[in-house]
Amino acid sequence: MSLKELNISPVGRVEGDLDVKVYMENGVVTRAHTQAAMFRGFEKILQGKDPQSGLIVTPRACGICGGSHLYCASSALDVAWQTTLSPNALLLRAIGQATETIQSIPRWFYAIFATDMANKKFANKPLYQEVVKRWAAYVGTSFQTGVTASGRPVEVYALFGGQWPHSSYMVPGGVMCAPTLKDITRAHAIMNQFRNDWLEPVWLGCSIERYMQIKSWDDMMEWLNENESHFNSDLGLLLRAGIEFGLDKFGQGVGKFLAWGTYLHKDMYNKPTIEARNPAVISPSGFWDGTNYHPADHMQVAEHVKHAWYMNQEDALHPFDEPAPMASTDSRTLENSDFNSKYSWAKAPRFMGHAAETGPLARVIMNANPANAAHQIQDPLFGDIMEKMGPSVFTRVLARVHEAPRIYVMINDWLSQVRLDDEFYIKPTERDGIGWGATEAARGALAHWIKIKNGVIENYQIVAPTTWNVGPNDSEGKAGPIETALEGTEIEDPHDPVEVGMVARSFDSCLVCTVHAHDNKTGKELAKFKL
Amino acid sequence: MTNLIWLKGGACSGNTMSFLNAQQPSVIELITDFGIRILYHPTVGLEIGEQVNEVLNEAVSGTVPVDVFVFEGTVIQGSQGTGNMNYFAGRVMKDWVEDLAKVANYVVAIGDCATWGGIMAVPPNPSESTGMQFHKKEKGGFLGSNFKTKSGLPVINIPGCPAHPDWMTQILVAIATGRAEEVLLDDFHRPKTFFTDFVQTGCTNANAFSEHFEGGFGKRGGCLFYEVGCRGPMTRAACNRILWNRTSSKTRANHPCLGCTEPGFPHHDLKKGSVFKTMKYLGFFPKESPEGMSNIAHYIKSKVNKTFSDQKKRNLSK
Repeated sequence: MSLKELNISPVGRVEGDLDVKVYMENGVVTRAHTQAAMFRGFEKILQGKDPQSGLIVTPRACGICGGSHLYCASSALDVAWQTTLSPNALLLRAIGQATETIQSIPRWFYAIFATDMANKKFANKPLYQEVVKRWAAYVGTSFQTGVTASGRPVEVYALFGGQWPHSSYMVPGGVMCAPTLKDITRAHAIMNQFRNDWLEPVWLGCSIERYMQIKSWDDMMEWLNENESHFNSDLGLLLRAGIEFGLDKFGQGVGKFLAWGTYLHKDMYNKPTIEARNPAVISPSGFWDGTNYHPADHMQVAEHVKHAWYMNQEDALHPFDEPAPMASTDSRTLENSDFNSKYSWAKAPRFMGHAAETGPLARVIMNANPANAAHQIQDPLFGDIMEKMGPSVFTRVLARVHEAPRIYVMINDWLSQVRLDDEFYIKPTERDGIGWGATEAARGALAHWIKIKNGVIENYQIVAPTTWNVGPNDSEGKAGPIETALEGTEIEDPHDPVEVGMVARSFDSCLVCTVHAHDNKTGKELAKFKL
Repeated sequence: MTNLIWLKGGACSGNTMSFLNAQQPSVIELITDFGIRILYHPTVGLEIGEQVNEVLNEAVSGTVPVDVFVFEGTVIQGSQGTGNMNYFAGRVMKDWVEDLAKVANYVVAIGDCATWGGIMAVPPNPSESTGMQFHKKEKGGFLGSNFKTKSGLPVINIPGCPAHPDWMTQILVAIATGRAEEVLLDDFHRPKTFFTDFVQTGCTNANAFSEHFEGGFGKRGGCLFYEVGCRGPMTRAACNRILWNRTSSKTRANHPCLGCTEPGFPHHDLKKGSVFKTMKYLGFFPKESPEGMSNIAHYIKSKVNKTFSDQKKRNLSK
């Protein structure tokens, strides 16, 4: 019997620094610990500052999800200042959020994920040569096309926000810009290029309309085999190679999913309040416990810190009650960490007491909720897929790329609804108060909580999707989503543990992930890998 | 071949994301056409695990030459100077920075965090962050004011939050094509080719500035300097000459310039009243004025111009 631990350090091609320690027994991961390896203290910086500071600071918490942070920061201030939002303002914010998310789909798929499928581990698979030809980093035939196309949607973001990343164009009361006709027409044209350069010819091999007729896994298989064009598209190859390479067989996770939802409807959130938010989102919110849907009530969030390097707070507090972080001085490398004690800079957020996976898979599960309203996305596909296949690396990847056609349609739809004669911004009255803003970043549920007192920020709390997914054990010793998803993963070659990287990257955690492999019995380090 | 190592400290990856938007040249063209060889990049590198430690160790030991060391993000010195708030590949990141800066021919600090500390260095600076060779406006930073690379140049600062991708790729092209000595640096170590003119150069509302025609959020036309804190007249950068994402810039999208290519961003450390508001003396003079002009002189000049301009003729059409 062989008992091993694996330290992978860092698991690359994710953003920031994530270290993972896996314990192996006969080549199978029996336990895993994730460590966020960097502290920056944004919430501490915001304390005592101008109430609008979050508009500048929080987009810069994450260069990939800056627009999403801005969506939250402006929403939290809308609630606190009791603003009025015009339909144009809600549309242009939704367009910003959506262009950022659709940008991330080809960029993430080609630059972050698919290159793993070109790993030599899969060299004996019949589709391997084709995968390498298309998806090998830099030289793959689709790599260039996909990465180049990913720059298009954020050009639309720049038309309204000035630049991507790191604009602050969403402000309490609306948006800064007042676009003209040429901005709208250019935006349509740029989105068309995205469709014509990549989405339809390279990715789908069919029209968006045809793809969106798929409502079940059987439909998907029927679509795949309908003609050569579908079969040989990049999505066709993902479906075939994903199954052939066994990506549907590992990385299951906690099986519970959280989405805050996003894209506030232009006519349903003109008076922003916490209560009005969930019914107003077009991409629906919710918590799915594996059987039932529950409302995404932000009061159900608690952050556990028993295993996180923060000193001054009680365990399992709601973000409104959390103090600004007081960092431990005792942070350590993964090798020197004591997993019975604190071992990560990420807190462990819990929803109704549960670790919850967040991300595109959570969103498409919410889309399958039969209770969704008429203005919300209604798409049963992933209800069916979860029933037939359950969560896995493959399901997660498929969920991510499934969003692209729909987001494309929504962006064009919203552009056509902007009324150039109407208001874009209604100046609010500044006041003290509390606010909550939330959205779906490309990689999952993001929320900001703000308390304003005496005209400055008294407390600002951010719970990011990566916090949900990479967080450590909670105070009851329950593992976080990635920690759980790694359990049971078979590692073929402990010197090249690509499976661990694939699980981590299927969550698209925004941290550079380092995996450390250890022998389960002796604790001896066998290997250390940056992935 | 130009060997490049790119590491991230206290970063958000914004500069990497910006870099991936590069057009002329694109990141792929940098590699295929200009011979930039990326030995390691945390987001787009392919090396894994042991290979990465090997690459870094070979670089530090001099076995593999490093032409360019790019650093993104702050140098995290917390807690209490140990750097243990930022581990990378089994060491504190600041130790990697120190070692790689010694062996690289050129060191490039990309973005505000790496150049002068940026947002992370705003008081109380919980991570004890600093820039590579500046801390805010003060020379020094992590490597010290006298630091020079093997090539004789100090750290090349390409600021911005994020830096524009073309500012990055074109400096890399200059190095790769043997024109590094023509990269002239200003007092803040910024390449003059991008950081001599002001953001206002090329701003589509420059006339509104001289005629004191006030703009604001959700309005067409008008200058954002007077009410909502635009720093375009005081900020050196090519934002309105080399547009962002091929299409626009902050000020063209009616977004006040935040002054992010100047040391000290975010300016006034985000204190109450400083965000998206023009800070004023006596309620009407803007406290800060374009370079080379007192705030009162500018105020009077713009008001006079306003008198002689026909505000109704402004083209504010949709």
